[in-house]
Amino acid sequence: MGVDGFGPRVAFYIGNIAVTETVTVTWFIMFLLLVFSVAVTRNMKKEASGLQLVVEQIVGMINNLTKQNMGEKNIAFAPYVGTLLLLIGISNIIGLFGFRPPTADLNTTMCLSITTFVLTQFFGMKSKGLGGYGKGFLEPIPFLLPLNIIGELANPISLGFRLFGNITAGVIIMTLLYGALGAFTDTLLGLTVPLLQAGVPAVLHIYFDLFAGLLQSFIFTMLTMVFISGAME
Amino acid sequence: MSMELATASLRLGLVELSWTFVFQLINTFILFLILKKFLFGPVTTFMQNREAEIKEQIAVAQRLEEEANQLKADYEAKLQTAEDEGKEIVKKHTLRAENRAFEIVKAAETEVDAMKSNAHRELERERIKAVNELKDQISELTIMAASRVVEKDLNEADHRELINKFINEVGEVQWQN
Repeated sequence: MGVDGFGPRVAFYIGNIAVTETVTVTWFIMFLLLVFSVAVTRNMKKEASGLQLVVEQIVGMINNLTKQNMGEKNIAFAPYVGTLLLLIGISNIIGLFGFRPPTADLNTTMCLSITTFVLTQFFGMKSKGLGGYGKGFLEPIPFLLPLNIIGELANPISLGFRLFGNITAGVIIMTLLYGALGAFTDTLLGLTVPLLQAGVPAVLHIYFDLFAGLLQSFIFTMLTMVFISGAME
Repeated sequence: MSMELATASLRLGLVELSWTFVFQLINTFILFLILKKFLFGPVTTFMQNREAEIKEQIAVAQRLEEEANQLKADYEAKLQTAEDEGKEIVKKHTLRAENRAFEIVKAAETEVDAMKSNAHRELERERIKAVNELKDQISELTIMAASRVVEKDLNEADHRELINKFINEVGEVQWQN
């Protein structure tokens, strides 16, 4: 803990527990989604128009994605898939509005990937039975049991760190870029207003926040679906 | 102020598990419940209901169309029957009218024939009558003329002779015509 570095700032304390900006920004995203959901679904019309169309598209897309990747029988996973997609997606692009993305915090990404891991193991046991589930680790030969266990444990770690790494890299690079541009305007042009910070970072924002952000949220969600449905088969 | 700034700029480590993990676990669970209850539940139900409704409406429309087609076929058949009947009636009446006209014409012709023969007979009678009258008058006139011409010289006997001679000269045949 310190003042320097790229870690999340502490927003406030509850007793001894530090509440970081990761948590407050997540609350903000939750609040936005709650208001959005309630406002949109309060009076839906048969002839959809405006915002209702957008919401129907989003929900329909997530439902279809779940059906395609997990099968018609697992449509009940759609809200979880949607939660992941919306939370990670909005978290990743919220950097555009000057917030620190909650997904640039290992705690968030590991929390999500461990949730997926727990769900994978739980539904694997539920659909195969405890015997079938245990037998899965002894295949193709019992000798590979340790490797199978390591492989299974590696999934949530790689899932969490992939997302964390991608988004954190974006945050760090953007922070460094803003610092460098500010220093350039100060030393090279002799201006106290960091003029170069306007416009120049836009291209990198589009790449790191929009492109990488949406791509990573999609990857995380797809892998979650693949893991869970794979464990159930 | 400086205390707040110090707190605000305090950072946790970049790669460090902390209480944030627990917060995020709770947040994710709450967000899942929110989205399930307020977004995915209502919207999915709504879309499924609408889909079912549209399917039902299409089914109803198809049924109605079939009914309409059935009715149309029925009406067309009825119309055809009515048309045939109409034609039949017209044909029957035309035939009757033709027969009637023929009868009328025939009756008229018969009547005309009767009238014609009547007229002929009448004419013949009149002619004969006229010829007879003419004969009488001529003979009378002849006698008168002759008596004028031969007033003194001729007696009754000479008259007769002259008249007979005249009549013989003219000839019986000429009087008949």
